[in-house]
Amino acid sequence: MNRRAVLALTLFIASSTVCARAQMYQTPQPVPRTTSAPALHAQAVAREVRERFAIGLDAEGRADWPRAVAEFERILSLAPAEPQGSTAHYDLAIAYAALQRNDDAAVQLRAAIALDPGFLAAMANLIAVDARLGDLREARAVADRFVTLAPDSARALYSRGLVALTAGDAATAQADFERLLARNPSYAIAHYNLGLAEVKLGKNADAEREFESALSLAPTYARARIALGTIYLSEGRRSEARSAFDRAARDASGDLALQNVALAMRDAIATP
Amino acid sequence: MIGLPRHIVHRVLLAGLLALSAVGARVALANAPSLDVLSSQALAPSGPAPLLGPITAVGRKGWECRPELAAADAGWQGAQLPERP
Repeated sequence: MNRRAVLALTLFIASSTVCARAQMYQTPQPVPRTTSAPALHAQAVAREVRERFAIGLDAEGRADWPRAVAEFERILSLAPAEPQGSTAHYDLAIAYAALQRNDDAAVQLRAAIALDPGFLAAMANLIAVDARLGDLREARAVADRFVTLAPDSARALYSRGLVALTAGDAATAQADFERLLARNPSYAIAHYNLGLAEVKLGKNADAEREFESALSLAPTYARARIALGTIYLSEGRRSEARSAFDRAARDASGDLALQNVALAMRDAIATP
Repeated sequence: MIGLPRHIVHRVLLAGLLALSAVGARVALANAPSLDVLSSQALAPSGPAPLLGPITAVGRKGWECRPELAAADAGWQGAQLPERP
């Protein structure tokens, strides 16, 4: 019995030593030395790419977009390997988009996705840039792929839902916002967008419930209040509609255009 | 108008003003937006999600790449979706 105990203890100590050795830091490897001109050139290019990335990202952090553009354009002219190629296209697109060069930003994001077909952040940004450009067809194609690759992604569902809603595909918008809300029931904006999709599908009772949910989560959500008012109006509940538009006008005090719409809608309802 | 009696001048001016106000009212009515137009203006979807931020030279793979993690996140806050209506 004692022998067995001693043997077990010895094995335990031996295995602990192996683990401890495995955790030790590796001895530093010497920097590869070469006199080969192509190898030296490759090392110089790799170093330039790394340093220009650091400068470009620093420029983006300071919102110095022209400087960032110059750095990432130079990186791309050096034809870096992956993942630096797709990443440089992606970062350059951010700088172009900040400069309102949305066409150029879209070109860079397409290039990033072509180099790295699973690049979700590039897809998310391309949908946003396409929405700015009004290119709903490409936005929808990219959004479909985004949802396929990341079916639980909140951004994928939100983006495709918005594109679908804008393009008149209310059924897809409804399905996407419902899926988004299944995991995010407290997201007021998703309730509002789902309500809009349901209005387009003629499901006014469901829409009313969604607008009320949005307002219970965000009581000063003026657009949701106006949407609720339009439902009341369609049901002939003029007094409630008028109250809703009146309240929306007060809640939209920071958005003059929306406030004017709410006031005009309130005033368009004849008082009994 | 020189040479015309004063009461005729008054009537002509009054008729002109009435005609102008009628035209103005007609233009105003024609430009007044209907409830349908107002509804379509108000019932706009929420704004697009803001662009995700830059990525370092290391690339998108790995736990340190916040934009890529945000793109895949199932929660709206982690996904950096619009916060304020």
